[in-house]
Amino acid sequence: MTATLEERPAASPETGGKPMIDRAEGWRRRAPLLPALIFTIIVTQIPFILTLWYSLQSWNLVRPGSQEFVGFANYLDVFADSQFRQVALNTVIMTLGSVLIAVVLGLLLALLLNRPFFGRGIVRTLLITPFLITPVAAALLWKTVLLDPTLGLINFVLTPFGGSGTEWISNYPLASVMAALIWQWTPFMMLLLLAGLQSMPTDQLEAARVDGASAWSTFRELTLPHLRRFIELGVVLGTIYLVNIFDQVYMMTQGGPGVASANLPFYIYQRAFLGFDIGQSAAMGVVVVILTLIAANFALRLIFKSFSGEQEAA
Amino acid sequence: MAEVVFDKASRIYTPGAKPAVDGLDLTVADGDLVVLVGPSGSGKSTALRMLAGLEPIDAGSVRIDGRDVVDVPSKDRDIAMVFQNYALYPSKTVAENMAFPLKMRGMDKEERAQRVRQAADMLGLTEYLDRKPKALSGGQRQRVAMGRAIVREPQVFLMDEPLSNLDAKMRVQTRAQIAEMQNRLAVSTVYVTHDQVEAMTMGDKVAVLADGKLQQYATPPELYDRPINAFVAGFIGSPAMNLLDLPRSSSGVTLGGVEIPLPRDISDAAGSRDKLTVGIRPEDWVLESNDADASSVIKAVVDVVEELGSESYLYAHLAEDTGTTIVVRGPGRVGVRFGDPIAVRPNPEALHVFDAETGQRLP
Ligand SMILES: Nc1ncnc2c1ncn2[C@@H]1O[C@H](COP(=O)(O)OP(=O)(O)O)[C@@H](O)[C@H]1O
Ligand SMILES: [Mg+2]
Repeated sequence: MTATLEERPAASPETGGKPMIDRAEGWRRRAPLLPALIFTIIVTQIPFILTLWYSLQSWNLVRPGSQEFVGFANYLDVFADSQFRQVALNTVIMTLGSVLIAVVLGLLLALLLNRPFFGRGIVRTLLITPFLITPVAAALLWKTVLLDPTLGLINFVLTPFGGSGTEWISNYPLASVMAALIWQWTPFMMLLLLAGLQSMPTDQLEAARVDGASAWSTFRELTLPHLRRFIELGVVLGTIYLVNIFDQVYMMTQGGPGVASANLPFYIYQRAFLGFDIGQSAAMGVVVVILTLIAANFALRLIFKSFSGEQEAA
Repeated sequence: MAEVVFDKASRIYTPGAKPAVDGLDLTVADGDLVVLVGPSGSGKSTALRMLAGLEPIDAGSVRIDGRDVVDVPSKDRDIAMVFQNYALYPSKTVAENMAFPLKMRGMDKEERAQRVRQAADMLGLTEYLDRKPKALSGGQRQRVAMGRAIVREPQVFLMDEPLSNLDAKMRVQTRAQIAEMQNRLAVSTVYVTHDQVEAMTMGDKVAVLADGKLQQYATPPELYDRPINAFVAGFIGSPAMNLLDLPRSSSGVTLGGVEIPLPRDISDAAGSRDKLTVGIRPEDWVLESNDADASSVIKAVVDVVEELGSESYLYAHLAEDTGTTIVVRGPGRVGVRFGDPIAVRPNPEALHVFDAETGQRLP
C-alpha cells in the first residue's frame, strides 16, 4: 500500500500528470459493453419517449386520421376521470393489502418452520409450491377450483355450515383477486423471513433466556428488530412486483364488475386495447410511472438505509 | 450468594456417544471464583451451559444454594451469564441492553435506570449509555456484557471465555478488573477459559477438565506444585513442564546417560515399575558450566533461545539422545545462541514423577 502511494508521484513527471489512457484506447476498452447499453436504451427509453409523445396527442385507433397534438389535455382528462381515481385506489389497496397480509402470514409460517418437527422438509416444500406456479394457472385455479359458486371447493367446504352458493368473485371481486395474490406471495415472504430467522445469532436468544425473557418478549424485543430489514425487503420487493400485476385481474374478474377490481395496469390495457384511446392511456401510463418512481425511490432508500446502517453489531 | 454443586453431572449430546461432560463433581464455595480450564473440546462450555440451564443435565444433578435445578428453567435459576461473543442485543442501546434483564423481571423504570447508572459508573460506561453496540470497541462491548450481568445482582455469575475476543493488553487489564469486581461483589462465579494463565491468575480454585472429565480441582499453587497427573502437569505452566519417559536405574532414573536420583518416598511408591514419567519444570533445571563432570550433568544443544528480558527459555535437544527435547529457564541475559552446548542438572527437590502408563502422580 505505502509502496504504491510513494511510487505514483515519482512516476508522474514522466507521464505528465496522471496515468493517461488516450481516447481511442478508452473506447476500445468500453466497446464490449456498448451493445448491452444500446440494447437497454432501445428497449426501455425509446418506448418511454414515444409514450410521452403519444400522451400529448389526441389519438383514437377507431377513428383513423384523428391524430392531433393537444398538449396536456389528456392529463387533465386523466385527473378528472373518477374511474381512474377509483382504479388508483384499488391498486394501492390490492398491492399494499396483499403484501402486508402475505408478510404477516409468511412470518407466522416462517416461525413455525424455524422450529424442528417431524416432516418439516416436506411441509416446507409444500408451502413453497404456490410461489412456483405460473400466475395465470394460479388465477385459473382460484377462479374455478376454489371460488366457483357451484363447483368450487370453498363452497363445498362451507356447505355443512350453511354457507353454500356464495358468488365469491362477483360479490367480492377485489378480495378474491387479493386472496389469489396473497396465496402466491406468502411463500416468498415466508422464505425471506425464514432466512432472516435462521440468521439470528443463537447466543442472543440464549442470553435472552438467561435474562428471563418470555417467548413473546424475546420475539418482540429481539426477533422482530432483527427481522426488520428482512420485512422491509419483502415489502419493497412484493410491492414492486404486485403493483404491476395483471394476470390475476385479467383471468379472474376482467377488472369487473365495472372497475371494482381493476388495477392500473389492467385499466390502461383496457383503455389502449379495448377502448383504442392511445393518447389517454399513454398519459395514464406516464402518471403511473411518475408515481411509481416516487414511491419506489422512498422504498429503496429505506431498504438501503436499513441494510447498510444498523446490523453488523457483534 | 450461593454455593454451586455439580453432583456427578453428565451431558450426553448424542445417545451412545461419549459424554461431553462425564460425571462432573465440583463444589463452588459461596463467593468463590472458580475457573474451569482445559483444552478445546474438553467440555468446559457444556458444563457451564448445564449450570445456566441452556443444556439439559442427562445424569446426576446440579444444585444452586442447595436447590436442585435440573428441572428449573434458566430464568428461574437466578444466574447471569457473560457470553464469549457478548451476545449484546444489536437493536438496543447500551442502557437498554443492561436494563433488559431487569425489565424482563418487571422492575419499574426508575429503579432500572438507577441500577443501570450505578453499573455503568462502576464499569466506566456512563458516556456510552445511548450508543448501540456496533458503535463500541471490543473492550467496551465486553464491559456492557459484564454490566448486563451485574445489574441483575444474581446468585451466580457464569462467564464463558469472556476475554478471548480482546487483544493481549486489554485481556490482562480486564482480567484484573473482573477479579477485583468479583471480589468486591462476592458473588460466586464460574469462569470458563482455555488459557491456563487466566485460570491461574483469576481463580480462587481451578478445575482442570480433559475429555469431559474433571482431572483436578485445587487452588492455583497446589495445581502448580502438585499436579495430580501428567495431563495437569503438562497443561498448567508456560512453557509447559518437561515430561520425559525415563527408564529406572538402581537409585532413580537415567536421562541422557546420567543418573537422576529419586527421593526416597517416590522411589518407594514407584515400586518395581521399570519406566517412569518424570516432570521437570523449566525453572527447575540448574544451568552448569560446560566443563562440569560428565557423569553429573546432562549435555544438550540449544535449538531456540527466547529472551524475554527478565528471563530466557532455552529449547534444546540432548547431546546423547537427539530425539529428546527439553526447555530450560535461564537468566535474562543468558549469553547462549543457537547451536551452543549447555550442561544442565535437574533440581532433585522439584521432580514430579508419574506412572508411565496411567499418568497418575507418585506417590
Ligand atoms: N450441540 C452439540 N451437539 C453435539 N456435540 C456437541 C455440541 N456442543 C458441543 N459438543 C461436543 O461436546 C464436547 C465439548 O464441547 P464444549 O463444551 O463446547 O468444549 P469446550 O468449551 O471445552 O471447548 C466437544 O467434543 C463437542 O464436539
Ligand atoms: Mg467453549
